Amino acid sequence: MLIRQTIYILFLFIGTTALCISCDDVIDVDTGTTEAILNVDAWINNKSETQTISLTLTQDYFDNKSLPPAVSGASVTVTDEAGQVYIFQEDTLSRDGAYRWRPQSNETIGSVGTRYTLTVYYKSEVFIATSQMERVPPMDSITFSKQDDLGGPQSDEDFYQAEFWAKDIAGKGDTYWIRTYKNGSLLNKSSELNIAYDAAQSAGSEFDGVTFITPVRTGINANDEDEDGMRVSSIDPGDSIYVEIHSVTEASFNYLNEVITQTDRNGGLSELFMSTPLANVSSNVVNLDGNGSPVVGFFNVAAVSGLGKKFR
Amino acid sequence: MNIYRVAWIIFLAIILEQRYGYTQSKYTIDGIIKDAADGESLIGVNVFIRETGQGVVTNAYGFYSLTLPAGSYTIEYSFIGYNKVTRTILLDKNLKLHIELQEQSSQLEEIEILGENEGRSLSIKSIEMSTNKLDIKTIQKLPALLGEVDIVKSLQFLPGVSQAGEGSSGFNVRGGSTGQNLVLLDEAPVYNSSHMLGFFSVFNPDAVKDVKLYKGAIPASYGGRTSAVLDVRMKEGNSKQVEVNGGVGLIFSRLSVEGPLVKDKSSFIVAARRSYIDVLAGPFLDGDLGLNFYDITLKTNYTLNQKNRLYVSGYLGRDNFSLSDDAIFNWGNKTATVRLNTIVSSKLFANFSGVYSNYNYRLGFDQDESNSYDWNSSISNYLFKPDFSYYISETSELNFGLEATYFRFNPSRTVGVTNGETVDNSLELKYALESAAYINHKLKLSPRADVSYGLRLSHFRYLGAGTAYTYNDTIPGKRRSVVSEKEYGSGQTIASYTTPEPRISFKYETDENSSVKASYTRTSQYIHFISNTTASNPLNVWTPSTNNLKPTVSNQFTLGYFRTLGEKSQYEASVETYYRTSENEVDYINGADLLSNRYLEGDLLNGQGRAYGLEVYAQKKSGRLSGWVSYTLSRSELKVNGINRGKWYPARYDQTHNLKVVGILEINKRWSATADFVFTTGTPTTYPNQRYTSQGILIPYNSTNARNDVRISNYHRLDLSLRMEGKTIRRNGKTRRNHDYWVFSVYNIYARKNAFSTYFSQSDDRVATGQPLQAEAHKVSIIGTMVPSVSYNFKF
Repeated sequence: MLIRQTIYILFLFIGTTALCISCDDVIDVDTGTTEAILNVDAWINNKSETQTISLTLTQDYFDNKSLPPAVSGASVTVTDEAGQVYIFQEDTLSRDGAYRWRPQSNETIGSVGTRYTLTVYYKSEVFIATSQMERVPPMDSITFSKQDDLGGPQSDEDFYQAEFWAKDIAGKGDTYWIRTYKNGSLLNKSSELNIAYDAAQSAGSEFDGVTFITPVRTGINANDEDEDGMRVSSIDPGDSIYVEIHSVTEASFNYLNEVITQTDRNGGLSELFMSTPLANVSSNVVNLDGNGSPVVGFFNVAAVSGLGKKFR
Repeated sequence: MNIYRVAWIIFLAIILEQRYGYTQSKYTIDGIIKDAADGESLIGVNVFIRETGQGVVTNAYGFYSLTLPAGSYTIEYSFIGYNKVTRTILLDKNLKLHIELQEQSSQLEEIEILGENEGRSLSIKSIEMSTNKLDIKTIQKLPALLGEVDIVKSLQFLPGVSQAGEGSSGFNVRGGSTGQNLVLLDEAPVYNSSHMLGFFSVFNPDAVKDVKLYKGAIPASYGGRTSAVLDVRMKEGNSKQVEVNGGVGLIFSRLSVEGPLVKDKSSFIVAARRSYIDVLAGPFLDGDLGLNFYDITLKTNYTLNQKNRLYVSGYLGRDNFSLSDDAIFNWGNKTATVRLNTIVSSKLFANFSGVYSNYNYRLGFDQDESNSYDWNSSISNYLFKPDFSYYISETSELNFGLEATYFRFNPSRTVGVTNGETVDNSLELKYALESAAYINHKLKLSPRADVSYGLRLSHFRYLGAGTAYTYNDTIPGKRRSVVSEKEYGSGQTIASYTTPEPRISFKYETDENSSVKASYTRTSQYIHFISNTTASNPLNVWTPSTNNLKPTVSNQFTLGYFRTLGEKSQYEASVETYYRTSENEVDYINGADLLSNRYLEGDLLNGQGRAYGLEVYAQKKSGRLSGWVSYTLSRSELKVNGINRGKWYPARYDQTHNLKVVGILEINKRWSATADFVFTTGTPTTYPNQRYTSQGILIPYNSTNARNDVRISNYHRLDLSLRMEGKTIRRNGKTRRNHDYWVFSVYNIYARKNAFSTYFSQSDDRVATGQPLQAEAHKVSIIGTMVPSVSYNFKF
């Protein structure tokens, strides 16, 4: 994101060259152990492909050895306003908490403007969430360009970056999550989360109905470093990328914004100027029993437009 | 509370005082006290009448006034670091006594400072409490990071002052946030007091005469912030001869020139600094990256006649960060102050100040012709302040005045061009008027007891043209949305607030060497500094109180015991306790969007604050070995609906124990050494205890929804500096005209990696599908090593 990037580079710069004295070390911290709760990871879309909702349990923060415990035996459904029910079946082969809905031929979930309710029955408790599918603009094109100066330490190779071109739909309040696949893999580092409010990055802006602004357009690039901490080119000849615009609700946009705040940590001096206190991100999943077990996670039903291109 | 009644009582008191004052023939002595070497007026000089055992101190312009019954008197003028002057006078008419004090050449000579009148130290005699004065000469002796003398950093050695962490900008006083401190440079509010993001402050020590920090018992003449007042006064400029000061350090160089303009009438000072980090950066990095700053401080004065003196001072500073050819990012302050001192009569001193202050930043990108972005933001104010001091009698002094400040906020002016289409995303300007009337009466009830009581009545108007938004109510801690808007025309009042702010202090001398003091202060703050990060950054903005955002109001009670010790009263010690509460503290929702946000108020939360503590301070003021020990035991907490389940939690800068020890040793005529040691309890932070995955991203989770319930490791550090004076005598035996010195310092001698913060994140490596995500805890140390430095300073 434009502002964050600039400030980050500023601090990186001061930390590395001007003072050469700040440091950032990985340390061991005991954060204790506590009871696990249900995590509902339910981001589905209108593509005619298998849709997955993942139910897992939270883990102790430093449980780096095991995958999140899968939740088995839950019942998961998505219902639209008209009463159509989409049943998500537990994937008993993957055993990772995935509940899947497989479309028949060209079947898709839903249409723009429809409200959906997610219902999860688990251990005699009922968890629900609602989301509305919002509109999405078409992708126009993807371009590649050579970069002269990235800012910050970089290795000496040639640097290239990709940029997508699309226009926000006129009318205020459209929110999007732009997801990029590089050579088939989703770019899912927190620093690669690319969200837009109309054509810009925050609510209340006047960037409505215009081409997405530069930081959004170039926010589709992989953020990788080599062993020496030098940035490497986001894309090299021969790589291909596929960019999707997912429409999200405003609540989902706020959620993703919170996720960026809580997880995109650059460390070093930027901790002074960019880090806000650790706080729990929001959730739109609720336990019908107000005194029941707590739950985390988010439910969103997106409309998707996408475009791919190979860099030659 | 009936303000009019209070005003009446004060008025009656003045009348009564006047009547009594004229029942007997009384005369007034007044004058200005200056430094004999450079003609600088001296602030806070003790003027003592031996016969009555009473005295006064000079004001910010070196002026004093004493009214006594006819008779003969011995007057002593004493000031720390200066030789005492004694005058015997026969008072049978009004007298003007301008005095010049000679600076002591060296502490080595052990000159008696207080002499036979032991215990007559200001800290005992004065009604002032919760106030620290830092002598610029002491500041210059403190070991500084990278050898650069810094006024704001040196405040950290005082009791009751803390900071969120090393290198963070600003300072925290008695539980207040950094934006609750009023930082004044020659009466001009400074909205961003740091260069290079907080590593250095904007004050050029070569141009500073006096630094005073009010932590409590804030005089009625100051207002607008709830926590503390840092009053920095600039030098007037040497009125006797041309003087050049300069220094070459590792980060920047300084040069100042001062001297007389018109003999006995006018003098000036111009001081400038320029960093050369961008020059140093060249070899380290390719490209155009660079950060530099410069600042210019200037002041001149003109004595119009016996009664009137005019001062003009200004500051201009800018930090520049160059990122690449097509990007700009810079920020800085501008201030200008015009003051007229008028000695209306020997008993009435008036000062009229007109002040302009501005902070702004600009950030721009220019990718190509059809894709660019230009963003700027600013706060400006115009301030007018007439202030009067009426020295009614030897035992009674009245201070009153008015203050009016007009604010203009530019939250964000943004023009973007995206793919050839230009979008003006500017937010509307905001306007406000803050005004105040104040009066304070200082009265000696008996030779041992003093009382000072006053009232500041402040009033704030949030003015149009502008839009007032109404927000919905939602779950505490969540973003609120606009439900309706109302447009206001130019000059129309959108919201207004009035706060009566009583200020009372009391002092009783229990014996010759000790006194007890107590005070109560209420302060209000109508403009808010919006920053939710650990340390503020240059993009953080100030915003006015509105129909949604209420002014912060704080109450502080203090109680203190002051004592001098030692044969020559060379030791001063004090113990102070304070209790502070505040209403309408600003806090932020999680994920708050604070920059360029039209609906900023929807992301703000309202809370309460409380802070209490004990401050112990002991100082040895004179002799070969001088220095002080400062210890603070304190707690600073906030309670905000929507944070920490609505329960009290410690503020980010809360430090249970805070110990500082400073020792200054004069080894011989050429060498002196200073050492300091700092210990503070680790500041509070929040740890996650659980984690989960959302769309492949590791999310930290705190199952108790707590804030600041654990602490990072304790902080401690030892610094040392050595100062070597240049030779004063040439090889040929003649005295050198110029004076120079070297400062060698080592910061953080035992290279402790003090934690600034601990943060949690997912490892930066990409994880193959089906593999667990890797969580990491990181410790950030801002100064993670020993930092040696050297600087060369000269004067001629």
